[in-house]
Amino acid sequence: MNRLFRKSLYACCLALLIGLSGAWLQPAEARTSFKVGYIGPLTGGNSSIGLGARNAAELAIMEHNINPEAKYYFELVSLDDECKPNIGVQAATKMAADKNILGAVTHYCSAVALGTVDVYHRFGLPVIVYGAVHPDITYAHNYPEVLRIIGTLINQNQVSSKFMLSQGYKRFAVISDTTDYGKSHKEFFTKYISEGGGEILAEFGVTADQQDFTVELTKIKSLNPEVVYFAGLYPQGVRVRAQMEKLGVNAQFQGVSGVKSDAFITGLGPELAEGCLSFLEGSPLEKLPKGEEFMRAYTARGFKNAPDTMAPFAYVAMTQILEAVEKVGPDRKKIARNLRAIQGEDTLIGKVSYDDHGQNSEPYVSKYVVQDGKWLVWEDSDYASGKRSLKK
Amino acid sequence: MSRAAAIFSGPLGCILPAFLLLAWSGFFLTAEDQTSILLSLLSLAGFLLAAVRLGWVNILREAIAVQERLWDACLITIMLALMILFREDHYNLFLLGTIMAYATAVLGLNVQLGYAGVLNFSCASFFGVGGYTAALLLSGTDLPPLLALPLGGAVAALTGCVLLLPVLRTSGHYAALVTMAFALLFRVFLDVSEWFGGPQGIPVAPLTIAGLDFSQGILWGDAEFSFYLKYDLLLLLVLCLAYSITRRLERSWIGLALDAVRSDEVASACFGIHIRRWKITAFTLGNFLSGLAGALYAMMLAYISPANFTFADSLLFLSILLLGGIGNIQGVLVATVLVVIVPEKFQVIQEYRYLIYSALVLLMIVFRPVGLLPRKPRAYTGSPA
Repeated sequence: MNRLFRKSLYACCLALLIGLSGAWLQPAEARTSFKVGYIGPLTGGNSSIGLGARNAAELAIMEHNINPEAKYYFELVSLDDECKPNIGVQAATKMAADKNILGAVTHYCSAVALGTVDVYHRFGLPVIVYGAVHPDITYAHNYPEVLRIIGTLINQNQVSSKFMLSQGYKRFAVISDTTDYGKSHKEFFTKYISEGGGEILAEFGVTADQQDFTVELTKIKSLNPEVVYFAGLYPQGVRVRAQMEKLGVNAQFQGVSGVKSDAFITGLGPELAEGCLSFLEGSPLEKLPKGEEFMRAYTARGFKNAPDTMAPFAYVAMTQILEAVEKVGPDRKKIARNLRAIQGEDTLIGKVSYDDHGQNSEPYVSKYVVQDGKWLVWEDSDYASGKRSLKK
Repeated sequence: MSRAAAIFSGPLGCILPAFLLLAWSGFFLTAEDQTSILLSLLSLAGFLLAAVRLGWVNILREAIAVQERLWDACLITIMLALMILFREDHYNLFLLGTIMAYATAVLGLNVQLGYAGVLNFSCASFFGVGGYTAALLLSGTDLPPLLALPLGGAVAALTGCVLLLPVLRTSGHYAALVTMAFALLFRVFLDVSEWFGGPQGIPVAPLTIAGLDFSQGILWGDAEFSFYLKYDLLLLLVLCLAYSITRRLERSWIGLALDAVRSDEVASACFGIHIRRWKITAFTLGNFLSGLAGALYAMMLAYISPANFTFADSLLFLSILLLGGIGNIQGVLVATVLVVIVPEKFQVIQEYRYLIYSALVLLMIVFRPVGLLPRKPRAYTGSPA
């Protein structure tokens, strides 16, 4: 036998050995445990929200696991949807087809959630959508597996338009991104403003990655509106607000839930962000008895990322799934039914009741304003008490 | 010739590597925890290194060169074996399907960039044109759904005609810019067209062929095989078709003409090669293949939106081609597997995986700019390469 052939044989054996040893090195399971999932944007422009929500879901599981009365032990499987529908469907298929995963907390981006609900339904995985607000996610069908803890953007715009009109604003200019998120916001906001007697001076659709708004804002400046309503997510919100200042558009900046992120203020700096408005489903953390406790627990775990806006929703959704498993055992159908039956439960984010489409029907919307580099609940701010005033 | 080389230049030289490849990919695709994934990647790297050092690569290359049909059959058998192995595993079948759809699209890109040297930074757009054609045809008309596949390709090829004039009249950076602009335009166009579902996207009805519903699983005795299996089989067929078309194209005098156009336009024009004709042929054929793949991918995905077909996705297709080695269609297959599966497998490291991925791309460009399996120069004598 020649040298080359012998050497080859050795190499083959070595490669096989290395490959096979992987199978034996898998850690042994300590006790019966079940898996639950999380899918959200962990990379890309919206990762600040997605990472915070993932940590919160992890927190809910950690707290459950150290509870001595708990029957089961849970593990988190977390996947990235990159805020892209095809990657979302891929992740959703992976998660839903895995029979060991009993339920999941999913999606911040509406376009992703719209694409994946069919997958969850097909494979029967109970999910609670924590952050995507497009109405069709729950209302376009009646899948028993799909629930949503956050309100739809219809409620949000009802509240925000009423609030703005009550502040005496009458003339609005609208900039919305052309995603379904921005477009639906624009649709409902203009509807409620017109019904309430306000006037929409102009509407501008911008693509979600547009950097420069000189054209739109110059036009807006000549129309001289009292309010610039921006429907989109915070990275773009930062640019719109900054360029308003640069071009001297002296109007009140009003955002939507996608703008209420700490990254919005860091991106602008406290001076430019001052007085910006935003609206968000659910009661503010500080207002709730368990809010401080949640923040303390979150900080204590030493997560690298701030919780950001959607963390409480993901936390509550995950807790609900874990409790459902504790109650009915590892059966996906029963878990979904049990989740649907939740009515008037007191949670971190306020009361939660699911309607016949699995939509949380306790649509409390909070109003926020930036004051000294922080998002404050409107009622607590200097603006409400009259010490400072919004732009007129 | 030594004894080992003699043994491996026969059929065994194809069958043994194919078997090893099958065993490894089966293990890698099922690997879930970090240690097995890392170990399987390390063992692959070690094995490849050994293969290069010990000259196995050349033995394999020669074995393939003399018995190409056997090697192709081996590759098809590997895919079929993987499908049978994962018959009830939806997720892995879905991944296999994605790989095959992407590979078909990149084969199209290879005809354009690899053979004729026509730059195309909007491959994902043509992929998307195929997808949207399928979506609209299946929901809006009574045409037989299978027709949506060739039509998806045809509409993509037709859409490409819009670009013909600017692509032919520009070269280099400018041609790149033209196609980039098209990719961006395509995205915006979809975003604002309500008819195409707008930014929210549209559902795609499942494929049915002669009453066979592709969205239903296959019942086999007591077991129910995943419905993705049906799509995978069809995708494999399409991929084989695209593969043999590009292979034959490369071997033919057309391929020779395309190579000449790419290498030196002036010189080939002097020899009487009609440059425009071949550029148009390559561009249109490439778009057809991308559209065809896109139509089938959309049906498998069941829901498409503009966010799936952005400029970034075009760059992904391009990076597959660069990684594999421009012009080499075997390289395309390898690179597609790597680009689709590796980021997916590294979900465990979450937000860091794209950092590592980009670092790897950079390393690749610096240290091996020709790609993993660069195309060999044409051999005019002896066995075909």
